[in-house]
Amino acid sequence: MYIEAKKLMKQYGSRTIVKDVDVTIEPEEILAIIGPNGSGKSTMLDMLIGLRKPDSGTIQYWDQSFKGKIGVQLQSVPFFPGLSALENLILFASFYKKKLSKKEAFHCLTICGIAEVAGTEAGKLSGGQQKRLAIAVALIHDPELIFLDEPTAALDPRIRLDIHQLILDLHKQQKTIVFTSHDMDEVFQLATRVLLIAEGKLIAEGQPKQLCEEYGVASLTELYIMLTNKEESLHA
Amino acid sequence: MHSVLFRAMLVTSLRDKITLFYSLLLPVVLMFGLGMYFNEPAQQLRIVCGITAVSTLFWGMQGIAFQIHWQRSKGVYKLLMLTPMPLITFIIVMIMARTVIGVAINSVIWLVGMISFRLEFTVLVAVLTFLIIILGTLCFTGIGFVLANMARNEAHINMLSNLQQMPMIFMSSAFYSLSGAPQWVSVVGKAFPFEHYVQLLTNVHLTKSTVSMITLIVLILYIAISVFVSSVTFRWDTNSNQALLKSQRA
Repeated sequence: MYIEAKKLMKQYGSRTIVKDVDVTIEPEEILAIIGPNGSGKSTMLDMLIGLRKPDSGTIQYWDQSFKGKIGVQLQSVPFFPGLSALENLILFASFYKKKLSKKEAFHCLTICGIAEVAGTEAGKLSGGQQKRLAIAVALIHDPELIFLDEPTAALDPRIRLDIHQLILDLHKQQKTIVFTSHDMDEVFQLATRVLLIAEGKLIAEGQPKQLCEEYGVASLTELYIMLTNKEESLHA
Repeated sequence: MHSVLFRAMLVTSLRDKITLFYSLLLPVVLMFGLGMYFNEPAQQLRIVCGITAVSTLFWGMQGIAFQIHWQRSKGVYKLLMLTPMPLITFIIVMIMARTVIGVAINSVIWLVGMISFRLEFTVLVAVLTFLIIILGTLCFTGIGFVLANMARNEAHINMLSNLQQMPMIFMSSAFYSLSGAPQWVSVVGKAFPFEHYVQLLTNVHLTKSTVSMITLIVLILYIAISVFVSSVTFRWDTNSNQALLKSQRA
């Protein structure tokens, strides 16, 4: 087990964003965290990667020095202003004590499909290119566990397919991937396990196909609408 | 590995053309303009030292404040927090990189002024001036770091830096003597590090290469305090919990 979180709770002001959520991340799985906007997905992800402290609950990691072994692509695409895509990649690699040659950095950009903009200032790249650079930064130190927060949001279908293939390739290399998404077809195609979160609570968990069978629905989209509607009406 | 970070910070600082304009080009033009108007060596020496000091102040304070604000608003520090890189290493390397460029810029301004106005100086004076510029740049860069941690946006940085820089400059002897000014002006001026920096720069010429220990201690104290405060007040993120709550509700 990579991460075991128990009874996670996070509040901002009087509003509870995450309520008593238990999460485990197993090796070599592709775990999708899904849920409506504002359901607490990103806050939960932030707590799992150590960006925010939970108000209560515990998180156990497989390794004390896990920071150097996880790769993270955040929803925002943070890069050092004034530096090119290649320079940003080399700089972020140095934060993981990895000396990356220009050739190696260029190779990583090639894998992510943005080698042609290696010399362009990172801030001037298009949205899709920035997203792929953020994924390249997340992979630069060859992490065991990879977190991708909405990796395909607002991207065109071709780039989406490229990123799907990249996720599957990483999985073949025995990497563990945790991602969030609003695209249920993407989740059904990629995820080996799904966590459905609504109003800060975990409302369903399991393999996509198994979940559809269990609830007697034809697709993950149907299940998502059914369960999130139910949760919303309970809180209305 | 820190050399990669140091080089990257040097590159980003050198590509910051707006700050370079205000810290190098504008001071040189101003120095020549004033130096030609006041044609006396004593006045010209005051102008060279005053302009060098003002340039150090702008480069140190506003330069780093804007650079940190841009990096923070892009979310770079959030990602940095997830790496094994210690925060204090990042702060120190960043201050050092900006100090290297700041010292180079201000040494050039001082040297250009001294040579252009044919002002005499010894090698010892040049070496002492160089060391004083290092201290001054470190001091104002440290204060700039604190400013960046206090400010919420670019307009706030401008407001806070003007609030600090204007009294520092006007209550100092950078361009005129304070001997005729009310006593409170000189007392308040001495509470700021800028007046001590100006005095160190000018006195090293006038008092034949001697340096006042008190002014030196004041500058070193400011450096220590500002580096400490900047590491304590450092923020990873521009978002407060309130902003996050607002976005969750939206």
